[in-house]
Amino acid sequence: MSAAAAVVEPPRNDLLSWITTTDHKRIGILYMLTTLGYFAVAGALALVIRTQLARPENSVVGPHEFAQLFTLHGTAMIFLFIAPFAIGLANFLIPLQIGAPDMAFPRLNAMGYWMFLFGGLIVFAGAGTSEGAAAAGWTSYAPLSEIKVSSGIGQDLWIVGVFLVSVATILTAINFVTTAFIYRAPGMTMWRLPIFTWEMIATSLLIFMAFPALAADLLLLFVDRHLGGHAFDPAYGGNAVLWQHLFWFFGHPEVYVMILPYFGVISEIIPVFSRKPIFGYTGLVLAAFAIAGLSMGVWAHHMFTTGAVNNPFFSFMSFLIAVPTGVKFFNWIATMWRGQLTFPTPMLFCMGFLMNFLLGGVTGVMVASPPVDFQAHDSYFVVAHFHYTLGGGSLFAIFAALFFWWPKIFGVKLGETLGKWCFWLLFIGFNVTFLPMHFLGIEGMARRVSTYPALGNLPILNLIATLGSYVMLAGAVVFAVDVIASTLKREPVGDDPWGANSLEWATSSPPPEHNFERLPPIRSERPVFDLRHPELDPEAGR
Amino acid sequence: MKTGVTLFISSAVFSIVIAVAYWLIAHEPVGTFLLGFMAFALSFVAGYMIVAERDADLVGDEKEAAPDDAAGEVLGTYSIHSPLPFWAGLALAVICLGLVVAPTLAALGTIAMLAVGALFVVQSR
Repeated sequence: MSAAAAVVEPPRNDLLSWITTTDHKRIGILYMLTTLGYFAVAGALALVIRTQLARPENSVVGPHEFAQLFTLHGTAMIFLFIAPFAIGLANFLIPLQIGAPDMAFPRLNAMGYWMFLFGGLIVFAGAGTSEGAAAAGWTSYAPLSEIKVSSGIGQDLWIVGVFLVSVATILTAINFVTTAFIYRAPGMTMWRLPIFTWEMIATSLLIFMAFPALAADLLLLFVDRHLGGHAFDPAYGGNAVLWQHLFWFFGHPEVYVMILPYFGVISEIIPVFSRKPIFGYTGLVLAAFAIAGLSMGVWAHHMFTTGAVNNPFFSFMSFLIAVPTGVKFFNWIATMWRGQLTFPTPMLFCMGFLMNFLLGGVTGVMVASPPVDFQAHDSYFVVAHFHYTLGGGSLFAIFAALFFWWPKIFGVKLGETLGKWCFWLLFIGFNVTFLPMHFLGIEGMARRVSTYPALGNLPILNLIATLGSYVMLAGAVVFAVDVIASTLKREPVGDDPWGANSLEWATSSPPPEHNFERLPPIRSERPVFDLRHPELDPEAGR
Repeated sequence: MKTGVTLFISSAVFSIVIAVAYWLIAHEPVGTFLLGFMAFALSFVAGYMIVAERDADLVGDEKEAAPDDAAGEVLGTYSIHSPLPFWAGLALAVICLGLVVAPTLAALGTIAMLAVGALFVVQSR
């Protein structure tokens, strides 16, 4: 292929230039800032939830308001923060990591962002209606979400808002795969792609396969609510668990949509601060696709207790996923083994990720066993499990990514002292909040209840969890202070402040509109390392 | 490109195997349909890539290619701004909102989307 060179317009920085931008870097920044905004709202909702649960029979909010709170919290965290933050990061990074000037379809990329933004706002708009926001949970199970039970307009706004976000996500995934396949720089063969880009390819494949099921499910629900459909009503020939089948056919792969990109983040950061190449590059890539493939066959482990699915099949498939995930853990530990380890803030967050995600993974294997799941289903044990994977896992990787790529994105480095305070407050706060939830679940506390009786250890465990959530708030405030302080100081930072490996560190910080003044030769998966050490044979480091 | 084609072929084969295995073990129609459709979609993409892209000649696939190998003639100014994506996103949001709030709003959104679509086509020529 012969790529044609092009001249880029001179840079503009007014508001209109941001609204009309098709530059992947700006779209990435818009995505990340928007998702952090949604995260702030979701976090505030979580604090109200925890405040309500701090004491037995509390009355900070009523049961209906409580249902709206956990619905919006879950929806925002899953549809509007964790997964789309990875999309924002990938928007910024993928063209830079593969040496391309932009995404394959820049206008489609921008359209996806606006659909995502408006979709999220539509979901939240439900809170301003007379009957309040959607209250059927982020899983929105039918018949709970049907018009007979949830008659308010908030549920409809939830349906169309999430539909818009899901279509936007599919469009963006098409863009990622096309870009990574077609727009690689000379010498950037597929087996030299950075792990983060590989993980985004696997994530995009998952999105292709899973998100259409969600879109179809939402359409069916909308037809049921407004056009007299009965897709989920067996009395009229519908299927009582059809919603759950379609939702979890999307929902479990979505868990991996929310974690695979962050496996990529960790795989980029650990080698840099271990001063070693990543251990088992090929194994890490294959493990990503093994996880992606297997995750398409485990959806009904969320439905063990319905009695309408083949439990042994889904249990076996769920156990299998632990194998490639274990391979990744082995690779990360082996990368650090005998490395020249340093622990700046991004690396600390990686360590937090490894510890938290491991615990979430272990409890995941536990609930993959139907006898255990029958006991733990819909209890706080499950709440603890998925918060350890997505909160302790993805959230810590998001902070690792922010601290690591902040200099590349904005040209300034976040402060190390405040960064470490941020890490320890979040790490301690997170574990104080969510570790007791395992015991709450074992003691029988059900999820999604607004009050509980003063029995056994429920009051003290809930109080500890609530205190932990406020420690997490302190960590988030420290992060905000760090951002403001570093922005005001604007200390110049070099193009590659960490001594990193992948191609984005070969350009200026922040990068120019066309990404690279001049591309270095690419002879391995660590082109910037090769550039720093021309005396070494690129193939020897494998 | 060979790696990309292999990726889709192996994904398609995996999904066919898992769809068949699920039907044989569970005899459950909804899940079998979902897995079967996934297998069909991946097979379609794999088939397309084999037929249409097998001879794709990408400079990114060449191990020894140098940056200058991708250089070509300067075609003109590369714009990194377009108002159309914003309006398209807004029009789609108005359609969705209109379906819930007022059909008139959905109709207005549809008209706006058609206009934006036409502008996309004109701009792309």
